[in-house]
Amino acid sequence: MRGPPPRHPDDQREQLPPVEGVVADAADLSVGDRVVYPNQGVCVVAGIEEKDISGQKLVMVRMQSVEDGATVSVPWSKVPTVGLRRVATTAQIEGVFHYLAAVFDDPELDWKIRHRDNADRLIAGGVLGVAEVVKGLHSLSRIRPLPTKEREQYDNARHLLVQEVAESLRVAPGLAEDYVDYALMPPTGTRFDLKPPPTPVMLPSRPRKRRPAVVEEGEGLDDLGLGDLGIDLGADLDGALAAVGGEVPAATEGGEGAAAGEGEAAGAEEGAEAPVPAETKARPVAGKKAAAKPAGKKPAKAAPKAAARKPARPAGKKPAPKPARASKAAGKKPGKGKKR
Amino acid sequence: MIRVATLDPLDPADVAFLTKALYRAFGVGTEHAGARPMPHHAEGKDGRIDAVQLLADVERVRTFADDKVLYLTAAPLSLAPGPLGAPPCWGFALYGGERAVVSTSRFPARGVSEASVEAWRRRLGRESIHAVGHLWDLHHCYDAKCAMHPSWSPNLPPNPEMDLCSFCREKSERKVRLAKT
Repeated sequence: MRGPPPRHPDDQREQLPPVEGVVADAADLSVGDRVVYPNQGVCVVAGIEEKDISGQKLVMVRMQSVEDGATVSVPWSKVPTVGLRRVATTAQIEGVFHYLAAVFDDPELDWKIRHRDNADRLIAGGVLGVAEVVKGLHSLSRIRPLPTKEREQYDNARHLLVQEVAESLRVAPGLAEDYVDYALMPPTGTRFDLKPPPTPVMLPSRPRKRRPAVVEEGEGLDDLGLGDLGIDLGADLDGALAAVGGEVPAATEGGEGAAAGEGEAAGAEEGAEAPVPAETKARPVAGKKAAAKPAGKKPAKAAPKAAARKPARPAGKKPAPKPARASKAAGKKPGKGKKR
Repeated sequence: MIRVATLDPLDPADVAFLTKALYRAFGVGTEHAGARPMPHHAEGKDGRIDAVQLLADVERVRTFADDKVLYLTAAPLSLAPGPLGAPPCWGFALYGGERAVVSTSRFPARGVSEASVEAWRRRLGRESIHAVGHLWDLHHCYDAKCAMHPSWSPNLPPNPEMDLCSFCREKSERKVRLAKT
């Protein structure tokens, strides 16, 4: 039986090297193996058994969480896709500690990118990905307190890291946490002989969001299927558009269209004379009001008011501060200040 | 219930202060469960006692479900070295477990003045809350004002607070609420 087709058939799948230790085939697992279930922690393969689920016989891999003994069963065929991986080796853990103790560059400040990347790292980044989340959020916490969601993410990541370190080094989780924090926050005067940290894990980029194709207005209305319901919008719409079309051009001629043209003209005039732009700015306002009001009312009254209000500001106030500033600046000069 | 057992003699007033501090931090009854002998075969070559070994060998205190036991000692403790060396040891707890130990050997001198005794007691309270916090599944916290901040951190103030931050407090309350008893 074939699965559903890929969601984005034209997008080329990125071929990234798999994270070290990822279980690519369920046949590689045997009872007693220690594996890491993404976002859940270290589990032990408890058994491989056949189950009858809604009439289908499925071979399931049963795993038991080391921490609390919770059981999770994964179908045999789904094992390669859930991201199971082996518990990190001692060499990997050593690399993680050298990464944790290294001086960290600036953390990602865009919370959306950070949160998304961290979620991806926790799932598919391996033990180093988990360490990257802990290190990144820890260094961010030095700049500002973490928001609640990220505080929880930090706590979860720390929990996963401590668990895996403890399982890998075969020590108590309390001791593993001390090791982690000794690397993250060494006591004053402590210096480590660090090796270059391992290369960060490359994560596949997420599929880009597809914008729906822009539909023409008429086509969109056709798609609504109003014709099937016996509603004919064609004639009504045309009439309504014709009615609106009679007014709209008039409004734009006198108001916005003119405003745009006059605004440009005003911009050209501003450089030459100071008071003139105020008058030209006032005109479009008057034009808009005139267009908005019904024909019975007098639009001419609004225009002079606005024109009278607006030019008063630049004419009366603007020139005044200039001499004042100039006099202040002059007053700051050491020679003159002392004389006064 | 949190039971405090002493492996070395301790002033009863200090124990009383500690039980109050633990009760205030976790909202769980706390009592002094008496003294226990120090398991000296946990002592290493350098005279320090391996904290993990100590917790494995120490004489048990009778407990019921979800009881936590805190051992107090004046002897210096040590931890096994990790990939980057051995972290300084102020105490050790079995994460999510039942037993924890705190050493007073790294505390500032107790002194005789009221202020110095008070500072010493507050430090004892802080380290004990830290150890019992691990027993209630709390991890280390990045907030230097929180009692769960690592004890050796350079960001820790000289007289650290003996309170949990809001996140750690809520988490511990949740754990205590979900406990079987």
